[in-house]
Amino acid sequence: MATTRQPYTKQFVDAAQSQIDRNRERAKKGLEILLAREEPAVGMTPKDVIYSRGTLRLYHYRPWTDEVYRVPIVLVMSLVSKPWILDLTTGQSFVQHLLQQGFDVFMVDWGVPRPEDKNLRIEDYVDDLMPRCFEEVQKATGEEEYTILGYCMGGQLALMYGGINPDAPIKNLICAATPVDMEGMGLFKTWTDQRYFDLDRLVDSVGNIPPDLMLRSFEMLRPSDRWFSYVRLLDNLWDPMFVMGYRIMYKWTNEQIPFPGETYRQYVRELMWENKLMNGTLDVAGKRVDLKAIKFPVFNAVAEHDHIAPYAATRPLTSLVGSDDTEDVTLKGGHVSLVAGKNAIGRLWPRVAEWLGERSV
Amino acid sequence: MADGNGRTESASADPTELWRNWLTETERQVNGFFNEVMGTDAFSRVAGNYMDGYSVMQRSLNQGMERYLNTFNLPTHSDIVELGDRLGSIEERLTTIEGNLRTVSEKAGVDPAASVTQLKPKRTRRPKSQKKNSSS
Repeated sequence: MATTRQPYTKQFVDAAQSQIDRNRERAKKGLEILLAREEPAVGMTPKDVIYSRGTLRLYHYRPWTDEVYRVPIVLVMSLVSKPWILDLTTGQSFVQHLLQQGFDVFMVDWGVPRPEDKNLRIEDYVDDLMPRCFEEVQKATGEEEYTILGYCMGGQLALMYGGINPDAPIKNLICAATPVDMEGMGLFKTWTDQRYFDLDRLVDSVGNIPPDLMLRSFEMLRPSDRWFSYVRLLDNLWDPMFVMGYRIMYKWTNEQIPFPGETYRQYVRELMWENKLMNGTLDVAGKRVDLKAIKFPVFNAVAEHDHIAPYAATRPLTSLVGSDDTEDVTLKGGHVSLVAGKNAIGRLWPRVAEWLGERSV
Repeated sequence: MADGNGRTESASADPTELWRNWLTETERQVNGFFNEVMGTDAFSRVAGNYMDGYSVMQRSLNQGMERYLNTFNLPTHSDIVELGDRLGSIEERLTTIEGNLRTVSEKAGVDPAASVTQLKPKRTRRPKSQKKNSSS
């Protein structure tokens, strides 16, 4: 009997010991978090600002390899959040992955809109600032062609740019979590119902949409997430990797930035209410956004459980463009885990690098 | 995976696993419930009214604060925005001057990107698949 019981006793002792160790680590890490003054270092990949205007910064990341692909890649970020989601810490940075794979990487960071930016419209971004950045990329690399990678709203801006400039030397376009069919925007669509939502009154009153309002609306999509995340943190406090990841994502989620007022007005009216990007009736700077005129290769990465840009809104993208070379990649996970974290590291990043490598020579 | 006594590995592995599964399921259900409530017409109406109230309050607060600051001869939000505007136009003019200087430097044969990285890697990289093809 003793010989059969012994393993279970050992198992029980091991489990108890493991729980004691974990609780000790929990207490230690909990104190560290409570007393922490230093925020996690993010977006630290060495880079140079090669162009700036207002709050806009165009970064050129320092190459990591002696030989890079001919075509540079320009990351166009969303107006809604901080850009360092694509450049978290070492080992968790999409930018670093691209650099390792031999790409020459640039990033358009729109910065934090100031009150005087409330009059910026979509055309200011798409028909003025973006082309100016691409010119700088061309100067810096000596290459005519460039690839655009747009995340979330950055993908929409890239699509609009491609749609009004069919002759632009865009080699490839990669969109990640980019909504095109705004009928599929779920709760956002419901909350901005024209019958009840006085868009003009809001924009006229506040100028730029305050970051707090933006944050609350994102949080309301999954109202219990914050509280459950605290419970998960407590459960995983013993695990340094989990704690680090949590702190980084907490910082990113809570560093919400204001949304330029006039762009918001235009976005809600023309995209959310009238679904013009999907219907092919959107005009930017007096030019029709003709997605069928997009003939360069398009890669569309969507997340199956994206609660911000739902699958129904992001999925149709490649069916709207005129390119024969398109690829759709649907991954499990959500809006953020599509591009950052384990899911992205193991699944999306290698796919993007492989697809892009073939088309960047 | 079953052990010699027919127990499954998952049952014996971690006693807190059940609790974690419950947590995930509860979170899903709570979110699902609220999403259902917030997806109704009635909620949209309430949210619309809230936003109206928020806008009115924000506007009156701004106006009231502006009057208050004016009374005490302190800079108001609009004054600061105006200053920001003027700074912005100075920045833009500086950028233009910088751009012009760069053009002049380039014409004079001077490298204008002195502060920017000087790394100029070869732009000849090829994907592995194409390397294989070219070597075979």
